[in-house]
Amino acid sequence: MDNKNFERLLLSVQKPGRYSGGEINSVIKDKSKVDVRFAFCFPDTYEIGMSHLGMKILYSLFNEREDIWCERVFAPWIDFEEVMRANNLPLFALESRDPIKDFDFIGFTLQYEMAYTNVLNMLDLAGVPLRSKDRADFTPIIVAGGPCACNPEPLADFVDIFFLGEGEEVDLEVIDLYKEYKKEGKTKAEFLAAASKIEGVYVPALYDISYNADGTVNSVTPKGDTPATVKKRIIKDMDKVYYPDKFVVPFIDIVHDRVVQEIFRGCVRGCRFCQAGFIYRPVREKSVDTINNQAKALCESTGYDEISMSSLSTSDYTEIEPLLNKMLEWTTEKYVSLALPSLRIDNFSDELLEKIKHVRKSGLTFAPEAGTQRLRDVINKNVTEEEIINTCKTAFKGGYTAVKLYFMMGLPTETDEDLKGIADLGQKIVNTYYSMPEKPKGKAVSVSISVSTFVPKPFTPFQFEPQITRDEIRRRHEFLKSCITTKKISLSYHDSSTSFLEGVLARGDRRLGDVVEKAYKKGCRFDSWSECFNLDNWMDAFDECGIDPAFYANRTRSYEEITPWEHLDYAVSKSFLINESKAAHGERTTPNCREKCSNCGANCYGEGVCFEKR
Amino acid sequence: MKNVRIYFKKMGRMKFVSHLDMTRVMSRLIKKSGIPIWYTEGFNRHIYMNFALPLSLGYEGTNEVMDIRIIDDEYPLDKVLASLQAVCPPDIEIIKATNPVKPTKEIGFADYVLAFDEINCDLKSLFADFFSKESVTVEKKGKKGKVKKVDIMPKIKACCVGDNTLTLQLVAGSEDNLNPALVMDAFFEIFGLEPVFYTVTRTSILDKQGNPFI
Ligand code: SF4
Repeated sequence: MDNKNFERLLLSVQKPGRYSGGEINSVIKDKSKVDVRFAFCFPDTYEIGMSHLGMKILYSLFNEREDIWCERVFAPWIDFEEVMRANNLPLFALESRDPIKDFDFIGFTLQYEMAYTNVLNMLDLAGVPLRSKDRADFTPIIVAGGPCACNPEPLADFVDIFFLGEGEEVDLEVIDLYKEYKKEGKTKAEFLAAASKIEGVYVPALYDISYNADGTVNSVTPKGDTPATVKKRIIKDMDKVYYPDKFVVPFIDIVHDRVVQEIFRGCVRGCRFCQAGFIYRPVREKSVDTINNQAKALCESTGYDEISMSSLSTSDYTEIEPLLNKMLEWTTEKYVSLALPSLRIDNFSDELLEKIKHVRKSGLTFAPEAGTQRLRDVINKNVTEEEIINTCKTAFKGGYTAVKLYFMMGLPTETDEDLKGIADLGQKIVNTYYSMPEKPKGKAVSVSISVSTFVPKPFTPFQFEPQITRDEIRRRHEFLKSCITTKKISLSYHDSSTSFLEGVLARGDRRLGDVVEKAYKKGCRFDSWSECFNLDNWMDAFDECGIDPAFYANRTRSYEEITPWEHLDYAVSKSFLINESKAAHGERTTPNCREKCSNCGANCYGEGVCFEKR
Repeated sequence: MKNVRIYFKKMGRMKFVSHLDMTRVMSRLIKKSGIPIWYTEGFNRHIYMNFALPLSLGYEGTNEVMDIRIIDDEYPLDKVLASLQAVCPPDIEIIKATNPVKPTKEIGFADYVLAFDEINCDLKSLFADFFSKESVTVEKKGKKGKVKKVDIMPKIKACCVGDNTLTLQLVAGSEDNLNPALVMDAFFEIFGLEPVFYTVTRTSILDKQGNPFI
């Protein structure tokens, strides 16, 4: 399609800047001079995908190599999809506007299960057959990574290669192998077989799955000499690993439009519901100098005036105070603001507190996740009511009047008592405010409570747990609502039907591939967007495939059951997860990695927090 | 501290960037360029920037104007120019940096080139017919969504029909402004035509006397 017609189409849709490309720092190469073209696809809108750090890292890493041209692709919004289909415009990469079906690799990052239908839709828009077995040509090779790759089984029929764990090294190893095999005129099957020998590479077609009469997995059998298990990759030295010195700076407003500076990977805490807390183990930090230099370079190359620190729990960075001191030396002078999400400031020096007063404060937020201490012990969330009330007091004195609290509903062992505890905690904060003579004058306090539905995830101690049914979720919502008696507390929930579907897909097996495809064919896409989500279509798809979604979401799994992800090794051992599950039911907490190592298995890499002196 | 007037082109892929987004893009380019820029006072300090005449989404501009303020009076203008040029993406081109002569309220007109796939004989004669009209009243959405009736003809200062382009000189500025799309909408409506596709390029911004705005 010529430029003029293309632009004409763009001008007929909302936010054409999503598809125009040409942004500051986007990479243009001469396609005749590269060996490998890689279409990096984020299966959601431009605004969400462009905010994602992993994509920025890999985009720059690939493009550092002269022989690779990596370009970005996002899911076209409904209006543009319609225009594309009506005009036979195949899915293209933003930089070159070339159709991605002609690329060597089409790679997806899988951040959440609700994007699976978008993956299929993007393949279809690209003009690529959905199922691996229907793609006879060597290229494009469909690859995928990201947290959902820890149980990618629902997408196993569509994707050629999954990358487990961190991609910086393994992705390039696979690209190099591809170059070699392509040059030697080998077949795709030969390439995939060879790739499956690389640590961190999972080629699903090379594993046969058999099932028991009750529907559970009976066995996972590797074909030929394919490794029996695939182990996730991690980066050992965070100071040596590549980090971009440039970000593509978008023209249109995106969700996180700022410098994002990674400070460490993993989390020491081990909250039992949190998948990220387990699959990214062990904790590995970057040094203060590395972080400072990288953030500075990024500010210079992007012109951004805000830096956000990225990690699962910023306060757990061992050198947080020296780091902030070092960064404040130049950020203040350059009018760059530091955003410190979820930072605990209780043990900072007065001098530093004074300095970060000018740091843009995100509101006062807490994530107690559960309403009673008993349930917080079950989930291993070490926040106490006393801490919350004390922090609120300090903040109220400092002029704050709004508090935001995040909770989960449907956690294992949860009772109505625990739900009532959510409302009680809100009430205690309200009471604390009014009991204080120093409270801001003439202002009312507002406590907003946000409740999401717990979804059991693979590689967590709760992977064995049933998710509560949708009817029960509704009942608990109503109950919680009835516990709140003041207008000072506002309550919002996350839609229960998307959580249900997320629960099915998260612990799903290969048989769900048919369901995802059917749902997609019925028009499901952008399932994480409430204006697009259609549960009826999904339920019809389950029905037509003869699959009961409750089998995946609402069933208790025995410790002995073979999980659909049994052959994937994320370093935390199953025996550790079982111990943690037992501790949860015994209402016993587990110390964090810095207090005491619990031998989860992640020390097998010989790096990280496991080897810190305690 | 002094004001500097920047002339630039907004072309190609940049035309999909709205005016609001453009201010953010420019402030990042300025920050990236390292010129000694002035920040507004106050709690949330930001780069001072003033666009002479916002450009609609979808339009290209070959001679756009933006004022910035630098803190160093001695800082040479050619250095401002070179520093900005060095950081711009391909579809923004900085043309020159000057000392402003007139304030932006002196802006009176702007030239637009509308490019069509083809202007055939029929269309040509309809244009002739249209632009010879004494008055053409259209409904224009004003601030706060109020619809008011305006006669666009007195606001069209000049027009010229070429082989496949239509050049218009229209009233422009913060008090009164006529968008070429409004002219074309009226044109299609009066003759009951199915609107055809055209691109718009603003080629210059003029002062109240009709001279280039400097
Ligand atoms: S091996 Fe120990 S220190 Fe290392 S991640 Fe596991 S529990 Fe934490």
